[in-house]
Amino acid sequence: MARFVAFRLCHTVLILFGVSVVAFGLIHLIPGNPLDILLPPEAPKAVVDQLRAEFGFDKPLHVQYLAWVGRVLTGNLGTSVFTGLQVTHELLSALGNTLVLAVPAALLGFTLGTTFGTVAAFNHGRPLDKVFSVIAILGLSMPHYWLGIALVIVFAVLWNALPAAGMGGTGGLPTSWEEIQHMILPVVTLSMIPMGVIGRMVRSTVLEILSHEFPTGLRAKGLRSRQIVFHVLKNAAPPALAVMGLQLGYLLGGSILVETVFNWPGSGQFMNLAIFRRDIPVLQGTVLVLASLFVVINLLVDLVQALIDPRMRR
Amino acid sequence: MTSRTIRGVLAAAFLLSLVASAPSFGQTLRIAMTAADLPTTSGIPNNGGEGYRFLGFPAFDGLIDWDFTHTDEIAGLTPGLATSWKIDDNDHTRWIFTLRDGVKFHDGTDFTADAVIWNLRRLYDEKSPQFDPAASAIVRSFVYMLDRWEQIDPRTIAIHTKTPFSFFPSMVPNILMVSPTQWEKSGRSWTEFAKQPAGTGPFRITRVAPGQFVEMTRNEAYWDKLRIPKLQKMVVIPMPEATTRLAALRSGQVDWIEVPPPDAIPSLKAAGFQISLWPYPHTWPYIFKMTEGSAFSDRRVREALNYAIDRDAIVEFLNGTAKPAYGLYPPDTPYFGAPELRYGYDPEKAKALLKAAGYGSDHPLKVKIMISTSGSGQMLPLPMNEIIQQQVRPIGFDLDFDVVEWGTMLVAKRNPPTAPAGHGVDALNNSLGFADPGVLFRYFSSTTFPPNGINWGNFNDQRVDALLSKAQETFDPAKRTEFLAQAHALVVDEAAWLFVVHDLNPRAMSAKVKGFKPAQSWYQDFTQVTVE
Amino acid sequence: MADIALVRAVNTPDDTPGSEPRGYWNTVGDRLMHDRVTLGVSAVLLLIICLAVFAPWAATHDPLQGSVIRRLKPVGTPGFFLGTDETGRDIWSRLVYGGRLSLFCGIAPVVLATMIGGMLGLLAGIGGRLLNNLIMRVVDVFYAFPSVLLAIAICGVIGAGIGNTILSLTIVFIAPIVRVTESLTTQVKTRDFVEAARASAAPLLAIIRHQILPNVLGGILVYATSLVSISIILSAGLSFLGLGVTPPNPEWGLMLNALRQSIFVNPLVAALPGVAIVITSLCFNLLSDGLRSAMDIKLPS
Repeated sequence: MARFVAFRLCHTVLILFGVSVVAFGLIHLIPGNPLDILLPPEAPKAVVDQLRAEFGFDKPLHVQYLAWVGRVLTGNLGTSVFTGLQVTHELLSALGNTLVLAVPAALLGFTLGTTFGTVAAFNHGRPLDKVFSVIAILGLSMPHYWLGIALVIVFAVLWNALPAAGMGGTGGLPTSWEEIQHMILPVVTLSMIPMGVIGRMVRSTVLEILSHEFPTGLRAKGLRSRQIVFHVLKNAAPPALAVMGLQLGYLLGGSILVETVFNWPGSGQFMNLAIFRRDIPVLQGTVLVLASLFVVINLLVDLVQALIDPRMRR
Repeated sequence: MTSRTIRGVLAAAFLLSLVASAPSFGQTLRIAMTAADLPTTSGIPNNGGEGYRFLGFPAFDGLIDWDFTHTDEIAGLTPGLATSWKIDDNDHTRWIFTLRDGVKFHDGTDFTADAVIWNLRRLYDEKSPQFDPAASAIVRSFVYMLDRWEQIDPRTIAIHTKTPFSFFPSMVPNILMVSPTQWEKSGRSWTEFAKQPAGTGPFRITRVAPGQFVEMTRNEAYWDKLRIPKLQKMVVIPMPEATTRLAALRSGQVDWIEVPPPDAIPSLKAAGFQISLWPYPHTWPYIFKMTEGSAFSDRRVREALNYAIDRDAIVEFLNGTAKPAYGLYPPDTPYFGAPELRYGYDPEKAKALLKAAGYGSDHPLKVKIMISTSGSGQMLPLPMNEIIQQQVRPIGFDLDFDVVEWGTMLVAKRNPPTAPAGHGVDALNNSLGFADPGVLFRYFSSTTFPPNGINWGNFNDQRVDALLSKAQETFDPAKRTEFLAQAHALVVDEAAWLFVVHDLNPRAMSAKVKGFKPAQSWYQDFTQVTVE
Repeated sequence: MADIALVRAVNTPDDTPGSEPRGYWNTVGDRLMHDRVTLGVSAVLLLIICLAVFAPWAATHDPLQGSVIRRLKPVGTPGFFLGTDETGRDIWSRLVYGGRLSLFCGIAPVVLATMIGGMLGLLAGIGGRLLNNLIMRVVDVFYAFPSVLLAIAICGVIGAGIGNTILSLTIVFIAPIVRVTESLTTQVKTRDFVEAARASAAPLLAIIRHQILPNVLGGILVYATSLVSISIILSAGLSFLGLGVTPPNPEWGLMLNALRQSIFVNPLVAALPGVAIVITSLCFNLLSDGLRSAMDIKLPS
């Protein structure tokens, strides 16, 4: 087991290195640099060139890469060309804002998905199975940002029951009922996909467990239905939890569309804005951090699974 | 507590919060801007026109300010932190400014000639400790002709331009003044200063929540007693998504939104919201590439396209939030001049011109236009261009679009049209402003081809060049306007661009907002606004 | 996206192809024939595909020609039975033509990624430790990027347009497919009958063809079908952000994006492209489920 862990850690470091190269390279392939956007089009070339030298964009790429890696290793992700603020600071607050949505969304998706999936599996072959399956799958089949717009129209504009956009406060964890209200619609929208993925996952896992016939054996031993369900869930939990972990990672990186619709200042919007403005320091830092988070979550999930199921260790 | 009581309490709290969430902040105006992020609050905002509009002029002044009171003409200039200015008759590169007495910065320190020099050094002197590279770049993009300065006495400053430049006063409003003392107190850091800035404007920036909003409070001690704000507070919030802005306005989350989606305007009006429309110095053209061998180097083709589009239909699509354009300037401005050609929707004439150039609907002219998906002043580029494409197809134009991101278009604009960044397009769909009289020179002089300027199409006409040079060195406003008008008339007759529409600066606000009189400017005055 | 647990759920039973290929697939076919939901869904998909392929005959108007005076007409307008869009073009015709692009952007990347990724995954699965590590670590690097992020970044680099959209989506999908294939291959590799075949010194290619591929194909097929639905939604999302298909081409995501401005004027019309996406995506997902059900069944011994 220890060997497995050490192995995976080594791989993780390699992957992170690869991620940094891809992140850096990808961003520098995008045409244009932040100065083209920062400065009005009328800016004379001399002014642009001077600023370019100031920010170090005139040096050859590999020099820039090494300088950047050096800074990253000391914890300094650079400074935004547009706001002059530290990327680390801005990214962490943006990530925090996304987590405020992503964690409840993952939990909600997990709860709903597990419920739908279990009910569907236990009623396999009957109409209830189809109904709950379809509900779960709908979560996957719908462009969730489209649902978000629809929810905004119904709840914010037509019924004036919930706010239309923004966080309602200054960011971070919700500290007031108003801030929680601002969270409701985006969380529901974001939970669609996890619900769908986990729902299908749980259904097929429970079906597999049920087909192994030991619930019949359990019933023979005298356990009641509720306890059988409990047993089944206990066995279905590990893979479902694994998927939830992965979905959390996915939400962190894929929240951009929902954040755009709800004007939520999270990491997705942060990233999208950086691409739009070619804010290279921000882009590099953000992509690196998000991808690294994803890698770490993957690693944790794999380790947990290996703990539970020795077959997973390779 | 029983579960029933708990549920009751929760229900009551929920209902109470619904009422509470319907905003009632008294004299606070909450504005949703189209910018995707908050412009910088250090006195020189980024994010272009919107930056200066919300976080520039409301909180800071320049030596010269924009005049928002004469709303029936393009906004002119008015004394700001300088009570008067004049050109030195012996030296046409030297401007003399008389500074205003008794002005204090928001932090209580005095506005002095030393402060002016300090601010100029922030933007133009790389060796000064307060040099701010990003702010310097923004200001120097417009005020590139500023050379040096000197203090004549504690109330008078002289500023030199590199060459005689009669338009100089129109560029001065871009140089906003901040308090040197506050910068020192912020640890000599512009980033720290931006969190608690101090200027001289009618509002004071009191709270900056990065990425979320900026809150400004009225400045009771503002030096212009007529422009002390009637509002208590003003809050600006970035909201780049048009539908989100709309939802925020309709649900009462904000009181005022910039650029509502044109389609929503009838329903907004029906629901009791106010729509503000007023001309401002903006135009939405195709800038033709006129280099050798280009499809648009033939004047007949350029004219044909100008007769081939139905501007009224486009205005109708935009629900009246724009008006037709027949030149860079609108016909009712003094700069329009007297061109021979007056464009309009004339398909027959267009076909005839195109036929003379060798094309027709059976043998169409294929051209590629670079359009953007969004951008400052670009309005609704995708559907507008699609409408144009549909309109001109029967005449014999086959428009193909190179759809790019705003950033990519800005890169293309800074480079010659034949450079790789130009993607080989024949025209650029890029909106432009004409707030100061120097624009004709920047857009149409043969000395301002990129990368030395923004005459992207490489328009080159000696008569226009001569008129523009004369205008630059004529300090008599009336004579200068005459030269510019003649130049403009030539530009129209040469069909240098496809003139499509002028945006009418649409904004939507709740019925509670009163007192707003839009000026013909990219910037506006918020001091007279009240919220009931 | 790909997760080991999903792979486990696709577990093929012990009586697997390689021993009786015809028997297995026949059983799969039988199961499919009796699965009404999957049949129904397949019929709907077939209808959508036919409409898209035969668009010029199915459409009632030119999808590219509109007229400003008849913009945003509601559903049920005579002559334009699903209404018109923001520049006056017929929605039904654009939906039908849009199906071509949307289906193409949905299916093509998955097909390409399956071919490339499947091959890589097989190689990684049957190859030695070194090859496996080489391929899988590179895949891990790409897998580390959330798909939306990667697609946006790639499109930001190479620009918008149909070709670029397909290219970026293919790149995004290769990583998960490689992972799934490799995992399946590795599992099958350790099975008894494979070991037996190798012990009998059968040529590698034959082993792949007869023992490994038939077992792996089912799982890949199921996974790929579910990826199609994600691909359709992702490409619509890219168009939503302005990075996908370029106007005036009709594509459901682009239409959704363009019409959302009109959502207050005519919400029903604005919702239609979304409905098209949901139905198609749902069908692919249900098909994927149906296939998995059919292939999962234990064979009668």
